[in-house]
Amino acid sequence: MNHSGKILFSTLLALSCALPAHAADSLMMATTTSTQDSGLLEYVAPTFKKETGIDLKWVAVGTGKALEIAKNCDADVLLVHAPDVEKKFIEDGYGIDRRQIMYNDFVIVGPKADPAKIAGKTTAEALKAIYDAKAGFVSRGDKSGTHSAELKLWKNSNLSPDKEPFYISAGQGMMATLAIAAEKGAYALTDRGTWIKYANQQGDANPLAIVVEGDSALFNQYSVITTNPAICPNVKKDLAVTFEDWWVKPETQKLIEDYKLEGKQLFFPNAGK
Amino acid sequence: MGYFSEGMSKALALLLNMDDATFSAIQATLSSTSCALLVAATLGLPLGFLLGYTTFPGKKFLRLLSDTLLAFPTVLIGLIVYVFITYRGPLGQFGLLFTLPGMVIGQSILALPIVISWTAQAVENLDRRCRETLLTLGASPSQLALHTIREIRYDLGMVCVTAFGRVVTEVGVAMMLGGNIRYSTRTMTTAISLETSKGEFAQGIALGLVLLLIAFLVNFLLAWFSDTRDEHEHSF
Amino acid sequence: MNILFEAHDLRKCYGSITALHLPSFVMEKGETVVLTGRNGSGKSTLLRLLAFLEKPTSGVLRYAGSQTEPRREITLLLQEPYLMKASVFWNVTLGLRLRGVDRKLAHNGYMESMLAVGFTDPESMASRGPGELSGGEKQRIALASRLILSPSVLLLDEPTSNVDAASEKAILNAVRSLRPRGVSVVCATHDRDVPAALEAREIGIVSEPV
Repeated sequence: MNHSGKILFSTLLALSCALPAHAADSLMMATTTSTQDSGLLEYVAPTFKKETGIDLKWVAVGTGKALEIAKNCDADVLLVHAPDVEKKFIEDGYGIDRRQIMYNDFVIVGPKADPAKIAGKTTAEALKAIYDAKAGFVSRGDKSGTHSAELKLWKNSNLSPDKEPFYISAGQGMMATLAIAAEKGAYALTDRGTWIKYANQQGDANPLAIVVEGDSALFNQYSVITTNPAICPNVKKDLAVTFEDWWVKPETQKLIEDYKLEGKQLFFPNAGK
Repeated sequence: MGYFSEGMSKALALLLNMDDATFSAIQATLSSTSCALLVAATLGLPLGFLLGYTTFPGKKFLRLLSDTLLAFPTVLIGLIVYVFITYRGPLGQFGLLFTLPGMVIGQSILALPIVISWTAQAVENLDRRCRETLLTLGASPSQLALHTIREIRYDLGMVCVTAFGRVVTEVGVAMMLGGNIRYSTRTMTTAISLETSKGEFAQGIALGLVLLLIAFLVNFLLAWFSDTRDEHEHSF
Repeated sequence: MNILFEAHDLRKCYGSITALHLPSFVMEKGETVVLTGRNGSGKSTLLRLLAFLEKPTSGVLRYAGSQTEPRREITLLLQEPYLMKASVFWNVTLGLRLRGVDRKLAHNGYMESMLAVGFTDPESMASRGPGELSGGEKQRIALASRLILSPSVLLLDEPTSNVDAASEKAILNAVRSLRPRGVSVVCATHDRDVPAALEAREIGIVSEPV
């Protein structure tokens, strides 16, 4: 190898040796994009580290993929929001110790002109009106918690819009889905956190507005689950218990309550309720 | 345009304030990319050279295979490696998923066909007279091979830069195998992808500009090295 | 008679195309031979066979030099010279270094061979790159890189085509000066003046398509 090749080689080698050292106690969590994108995790992680000494690492994906990661034993704990799927996950033996920690809510947003006239209706009525009016509706379509919540709402209204031309399956994150809804003048189901950010960014030019909110059907429960150590022997069982205990204790619950996005509370603690 | 000018000023702010998260992402990007490049170059340069330099039955097929792999979608590479290194996979015991080494495996596989194909191409594109000149000057087979490599050294440098560019800018493998973990496997590209999904477009553009700057520096360094080498060799 | 090359019914084919058919060819040691003939008559092909760059398709070609390493006794100057991506000094001394000669001796050889091909100030040329040279200069440098090896046999393929008049003169002078040293020379050319300038025996090459 020639002279400069050697220099280049050693530079690369030096860079590769700069790999960050791994902390002794770390816990791998699979979670949903909403907890990360809302900024909640970055807000609580330093407190968690200070109080428990555990380095919390997380992979933020759709709820479906988060559960899949845990099924493959690639995460110790889960923080997700799809109660029905979670219960099935536990029944199938993949997880243990599910604890509810907080909720936020979904809202239905749509064009300010509200072409399907759904403002003020209940969720079921609103979906029926959208369906009958063949007004556009953008779905996440990515097996995320929001997506499965949306599917459940349609099911409860006895409607299957899946193959209807007005129903657009985006296959993308919440923010991208809202952007598509805005472009197409369509309705969409969104978590409130993403909506607050979106509305704040768009300012007065926002073509979308909240049309349905506050319905109990739009309640969005978050829970923590530990991957079943009987199936996955690599799970850090003790750290996982510390993790779950930490989320439900009053101080942490207060921490969640205090988290504000653009001056608005996003998550409502409800551990043990 | 608003996002862009805001992105410009944010990029400057990130660099000037030595922003922790940004520098951690730069470090993750550089260490994983350079490791991947090291692996790909160590395997790919000799293999590519042999592929271009020698003739043997099945050579055309291997060449075609390597060229086809150039078009391998990064997400698919990510998925295949994922299946291998997940805890339940054949290599699960090493705990590689969602770590930098796991990411390096995928990125090496991404870079390898680029290095092999382009190295073979560089050898094949070399003027036939180069070989004949060396032979008529009395080169032995090993000297012939050595000086052929020397003659395509700039092409090999470009091969590495191209592979570096491909790896440093890809997001599929880094996202799937690294998991975009803060202060650990979050690279420039997965960070950009995250900021985009959060709707922080200006921040995404800022990180993109920093990434461009890194790519520029790498190319600049390579150009600088080849310049100093030339001065050295042209002297008595 | 001291035979250097001897060939009978020599044939070289590329696929279905016969590039060379030479019924008979004999050359003595120390002789200067000029191969003439129109384009495509097989001159270059014959030189490549004589240089052992390629093997004949059929026929006999005998070389009476040292049989062990003909490549280090015979050298060929290609029709369009190729210079490696390096300095003039590096290019001219390449063959010596391939033979393991050290830098100091290589430097002496460099001065000598560059003067022989008509460069009056070789030192000033040493660090130039291939991109900074004219066609005539490249040809002379390529010739110098062969002369420095003190070959027993020098093969030249159209050494004076595409070069300026001054370079042509310098090249022919350099080649002519080899004869007193016993070097055998084979030069392919379509330049009518070359056989006389080299005081050489002329052999016409005609390969008919088969």
